Amino acid sequence: MSRRAKRGIAEALRLLTIAVAVFVAVLPLLWVVLASFKTGADVAQLPPRLLFTPTLENYQRVLDAGFAAFFYNSVVITVAAVALSVGLGVPAAYGFSRLRVPGARPLLLFVLSIRFVPYIVFAVPLFIMMVGLQLVGTHGAIIVVYILINLPLVVWLMKSFFDDVPTDIDDAAAVDGANRLQSFAFVVLPSAAAGVACVTILSFIFTWNEYLLALVLSGRAAQTLPVVLTRFLGGMEDPVRWGLLSASSVVVLAPVVIVTLLVHRYVRAGFGGSAG
Amino acid sequence: MTTRTTSQPPPPGPKPRKAREGAPHWGATSLFIGPALLALAVVAVLPTVWAVVSSLFDWHFHRPQARTFVALGNYLRLASDPRFLNAAWVTTIYTTVSVSATLVLGTLLALLTKAPFPGKALVRALLTVPMIMTPVVSTLVWKTFFFEADAGLVNWLLGLAGIQGPAWVASSPSALITILVVNVWFMTPFVYLVMDAALEGLPGEVIDAAKIDGAGYWQRVQFVVLPMLRATIVFTVIFRITIDARMFEIIHVMTGGGPARDTEVLTLWVYNAALRNFHLGYGNAGGVVLMLLVGSVCLAILLVGVRDLYQRTGST
Repeated sequence: MSRRAKRGIAEALRLLTIAVAVFVAVLPLLWVVLASFKTGADVAQLPPRLLFTPTLENYQRVLDAGFAAFFYNSVVITVAAVALSVGLGVPAAYGFSRLRVPGARPLLLFVLSIRFVPYIVFAVPLFIMMVGLQLVGTHGAIIVVYILINLPLVVWLMKSFFDDVPTDIDDAAAVDGANRLQSFAFVVLPSAAAGVACVTILSFIFTWNEYLLALVLSGRAAQTLPVVLTRFLGGMEDPVRWGLLSASSVVVLAPVVIVTLLVHRYVRAGFGGSAG
Repeated sequence: MTTRTTSQPPPPGPKPRKAREGAPHWGATSLFIGPALLALAVVAVLPTVWAVVSSLFDWHFHRPQARTFVALGNYLRLASDPRFLNAAWVTTIYTTVSVSATLVLGTLLALLTKAPFPGKALVRALLTVPMIMTPVVSTLVWKTFFFEADAGLVNWLLGLAGIQGPAWVASSPSALITILVVNVWFMTPFVYLVMDAALEGLPGEVIDAAKIDGAGYWQRVQFVVLPMLRATIVFTVIFRITIDARMFEIIHVMTGGGPARDTEVLTLWVYNAALRNFHLGYGNAGGVVLMLLVGSVCLAILLVGVRDLYQRTGST
């Protein structure tokens, strides 16, 4: 076999492997989206029916089951928690990047170390604290606790974005008479806008998807979508309920999947940086 | 007269400062960083301290009056609690297999997609889908549509090959396999993204030079590319370990720790002990052990793996 033919085969194998990997990666998403539009008879068919008459009855059942209230819980909690963590974390990252912070290195390592603690260690004491404050089942309790999962990430990623902004522009701003706050808000921050987008989107994904802390703290009144999905759809093993399961899953997934695919480069930059 | 500046001892008093050094910015620091640190003190430090302190007590949630100080009693009890030791073992297996598998698969994928091909941007975007999908949802999809014993895709495919598949989630050892499969599917994209970004940052000349010297593809990968990625690999392994060691949702949704505690990892053990059986002190002792285990394993890997850590943490 000629060298060229060998190379052609190797390239074909490479592309085939990539195609298989992509197929495996998206199969669960593809499957659940298709299933959500199938009627009860079609949904459990194997091999899966690719040609079928789509129906919206599953989505109607999701609406009838009161999913809107839980969707509202998730939206309120996510928006507030992301705003809180970005609002606290971006100025802190600026400080670590630009100011002579006493004890900067130990403080940064402390912030990072929070990401290494298993969340269950925080979850039990936080539950007891929230019981004591009678805040279990309120949006506020979960919003505040989500600082845990987002703030360390925001500080570390944003610091690296600020570090990439040359300090010359700080100096120029100072020469023009800007004070520290003005320099931050009007000069440095706009230059790191891509970083803000990146940390906002990553925090959004982590918050929307979070399960353990929400399960422990949400009580009855503040259940988020992931919690509801497992509590309220008991007995999903029965294929009769697969349609309902699929439609409610798609409702949960839609915001993160759409946002991620729309602004994929920010997600990639964030995870490729130092996230986890 | 140049000798004067070099031979004389430095003048007394503070050493000459670099441009960025100077008196600390106390005021601006408290303004910019203070709120964030205060928030973390409340939601992270306070609970951690509470967890450690409570682990020294025999403390039941519904009998707070009967709380007694037992010093390290809870920890001694853990050391001979078969259910806890089982959870520690399951966590070790789960984390080791999953971290290794995702590291190999993610790195291979990054190497495979390095050379350009049509649709590369789209492929990269689609490969991140498992990581951003809500884990509870993806686990439910795997559980009901793929691993279901009678009507699931996996057993249907096995049936085509004439194999009778097990009741995946409900039997041993297949239950452990299901959570491993989902976790590997979930976390390979993370390794892929990190490695993909790191490969892009490598100097192409070095790899080309090895090529000119006659090194084959796998030789170049083994002796040139991977050594240059060492710091990245060490950090990825540490991140992956911390993620797997705290994993809760995949297991809680897929098996609930069963069958017969085959898949009860430490996170789930703490959850059950402290929040289901309400043994706060005992459960938290287990949590503290988990935290110390993760911390010491990561620290050991860090110390063995890289010496240039300092520069890297400064730059990332």
